[in-house]
Amino acid sequence: MEREPHQDDGQRVDPPCNDGRRTFCKGCIVAMAVGSGSMVGFPLVAFLARPQTLDLNKPLEIPLDRLTPGQAQYVEYRGQQLIVLLAQDQPMVISASCPHLGCNVIWDSGDAVFHCPCHGASFDSAGQVVKGPVSSPLRKVPFEVKDGKVIVSTEV
Amino acid sequence: MRLVQSVVHGVFGWFDQRYNLVPLIEKNVTKKQVPCTLSWAACFGGLSLLTFLVQVFTGMLLLMYYKPDPAQAWDSVTFVKSNVSMGWLVQRIHAVGANLMIVLVFMHMARVAYYKIFRAPRELHWISGVVLALLTTMMAFTGYLLPWTQLSYWGAKVGTEIPGAVPVVGGEIVRWVRRGNGISGETLGFFFAVHIWVLPAVMVGFMLMHFAMIRRTGISRPL
Repeated sequence: MEREPHQDDGQRVDPPCNDGRRTFCKGCIVAMAVGSGSMVGFPLVAFLARPQTLDLNKPLEIPLDRLTPGQAQYVEYRGQQLIVLLAQDQPMVISASCPHLGCNVIWDSGDAVFHCPCHGASFDSAGQVVKGPVSSPLRKVPFEVKDGKVIVSTEV
Repeated sequence: MRLVQSVVHGVFGWFDQRYNLVPLIEKNVTKKQVPCTLSWAACFGGLSLLTFLVQVFTGMLLLMYYKPDPAQAWDSVTFVKSNVSMGWLVQRIHAVGANLMIVLVFMHMARVAYYKIFRAPRELHWISGVVLALLTTMMAFTGYLLPWTQLSYWGAKVGTEIPGAVPVVGGEIVRWVRRGNGISGETLGFFFAVHIWVLPAVMVGFMLMHFAMIRRTGISRPL
């Protein structure tokens, strides 16, 4: 490792250096750089993460005893209108958006149908098409019933 | 280690080939000559700049959640502090950093005044520096109102009363600063705009002048 510099050949030669010590110092510098980088980087990444406690990211919970049979309840969930309907004692969650052009359908409790105010489509209480310029039923939203609550937690 | 080195050399070499960066870096950073008589006290100006950059950076992060509205301002700040991960840290760095920046600016000024660095040819360095110090205190004052707490409300109320002492036009200045007769949502919106855009933009302009003048005249050499 240690070499004597050749001073007699007239050329400048770098003095001998201890490679082990230099590598150790370089390693320390890199370790300190990584350490201080992560001290800034970790809080930054954590701050920029989507906050889990935002209302927007929470699951939707509706107690069953707040639902009236034959009445549709409109709720907003992640920027969309959903309808929670208690029909034949079975809860059902559907999107309020008409599959034709996206107007919000209106529940008619007298006839037990959904009417679309824009182009006159109507759907029965299960969301199936009764009439109108539309071929697909109202979109069903997956949900689960737990502890007496209707819970929607998936993306819709 | 060797891989990192070769990647850094490769990327840096690509830019260096095109823009000949090595002499530029050597002249301004790695081989820059400064008087050996300078003490650590000469760092206060640079440290003021560093705290300014920290404030800009943490301010950007806080701006992602802040809502400049009397009904939502306090809630949004509380949300950052308690619900956003590491939000408490960013909010504290921004608030404590503001105090630290004022301390550093005044230490910088004290040193310049004590060593009489403000004399010719550096009068404009001092004048632009005083303007920057005033802008810094204005940054702190406008930022103080934004969390919309009792403390910030009354702080803004008392602070905006000060120009009322000006003869004749004082009352009009107070109403202009408050955007009305009292501290209201209008005041909050005005302070917010001034805090996040108007003052930082003006400050950056004065800083560039301040630094360009220092580069032109060179740093003052103590005996």
